[in-house]
Amino acid sequence: MPIESNFLQLNSTTFAYEGAVGNVVSSINWSIPEGGIHCLVGRSGCGKTTLLKLAAGLLQPDTGTVRVLGTDVPEPSQHVGFVFQSPSLLEWQTVLNNVLLPISLHGTVTATDHIAANELLQLVGLQEHTDRYPRQLSGGQQSRVALARALITEPIGLLMDEPFAALDAITREELQDDLLQLASLRKTTVLFVTHDIGEAVYLADKVAVMDAGRIVFSTDVALPRPRNQTQRYSSLFNATCLNLRNAMGPERKGEV
Amino acid sequence: MKQTSLLSLTLFAILLLLWEGIVRTTGISALVVPAPSAILIVLWEGLTVGFLWPHIWVTSVETLAGFALGCIIGFIAGVILGEIEFLRQLLWPYVLASQVVPKLALGPIFIVWFGFGMTSTIVITALICFFPLLENTMTGLQSVSRNKRDLFRMLGASRWQTLIKLKVPSGLPIIMAGVRIAIVLALVGAVVGEFIGGSQGLGASIITAQGMMDSALMFALFIVITALGLIFYQLTIVAEQYLLSGWTKGQDQ
Repeated sequence: MPIESNFLQLNSTTFAYEGAVGNVVSSINWSIPEGGIHCLVGRSGCGKTTLLKLAAGLLQPDTGTVRVLGTDVPEPSQHVGFVFQSPSLLEWQTVLNNVLLPISLHGTVTATDHIAANELLQLVGLQEHTDRYPRQLSGGQQSRVALARALITEPIGLLMDEPFAALDAITREELQDDLLQLASLRKTTVLFVTHDIGEAVYLADKVAVMDAGRIVFSTDVALPRPRNQTQRYSSLFNATCLNLRNAMGPERKGEV
Repeated sequence: MKQTSLLSLTLFAILLLLWEGIVRTTGISALVVPAPSAILIVLWEGLTVGFLWPHIWVTSVETLAGFALGCIIGFIAGVILGEIEFLRQLLWPYVLASQVVPKLALGPIFIVWFGFGMTSTIVITALICFFPLLENTMTGLQSVSRNKRDLFRMLGASRWQTLIKLKVPSGLPIIMAGVRIAIVLALVGAVVGEFIGGSQGLGASIITAQGMMDSALMFALFIVITALGLIFYQLTIVAEQYLLSGWTKGQDQ
């Protein structure tokens, strides 16, 4: 069965919020293989964050199944990391302790863990800031700490919910490069949710489009790796973006 | 900032001089309004001869004991009600009702139960401190963002860990605001508690001074109580700054 090699497998997955009208996720059949970076794009409110939370085990489907690495996820798994829309750092802890949080919650932090955390912080360029507090950092630096925290347990997969949406364009590009570098270094499977088509194409091996609770389109991104910022201006990049834009449906006037 | 504090000191001096001048020129009775100089003499004697110190001690002990008791119980109750939805809905009307009752009106019954003296005053003070801590702890625990709660779920944290490592530290600024309110109320509680059932302490001394028609002593006691209040308040500010050092760092950058 090829299913077992999938990172994520959704079978007729449906979910509705209590008291809300209609399904947020409607009978989705979708899978992403282990390895690589997978992006899910869609308009605001199309259900992509809900789908991510189902994959994380933070929500449970009403019908159908959600399987991660071949098993159901009745509760969040330690093999999967999650990066939220906001960095969600603990303001009263130093940068280093924030990165070590996933370990300190489950026992004592060893010298090896300290080395690992410092290495990660070095990879994201924050080695000088380990003893500072989150409020002393810029938005981009906070996002980097959140990324390092998600990777400290060396998860097999990383679920990311528009983690760079609040950053300015240049900082966002830097963080995208950081993510690409870390994910390829650690061979982490990434499911990255975004509403930014350009971001999806730049990061992904595969992009899926979600609309009104369904996966409506999926495509491979043929851009060579490693990615670099000049590729953003290539005709292939733009053609892929246009393709995805068309898949997201016509302009909907009067909607926000 | 320094200039305004200098100005405010100058204003204080001018007001004192004005007060002294008016009392001297109008010959108003010292029983009604004593001159600042007369008050300062009484205050100085009280502190040097030492008859004020035992009262300062008693009131301080009552304030701090009541404050500590009320804060600890209020915090624990706030955690329990904040964490258990069922209990919150069940008990909230009773908690609210118990706080709407003017605590000082309960003074006479506390004297029946606990007798005259420190115990009654401490109980009244604790009851007054209880509510701000209860309410701010509940609010503080519930102020944690959805994302952070989801983060702790993702990390497989237990309910106890989420409480101790996320909710309490997250809510600490709000909880400490409750502590600041409580310390001010504690002193009021202790002094007024002594009015009702005390034989010692600054509140009881005010009643005694009133009986002796010694207005200068009453004013001197006001000064002592105010100074005591400011010291207690400053101590909580220092404690707050220490506890929230991570929070406050970098806030002005």
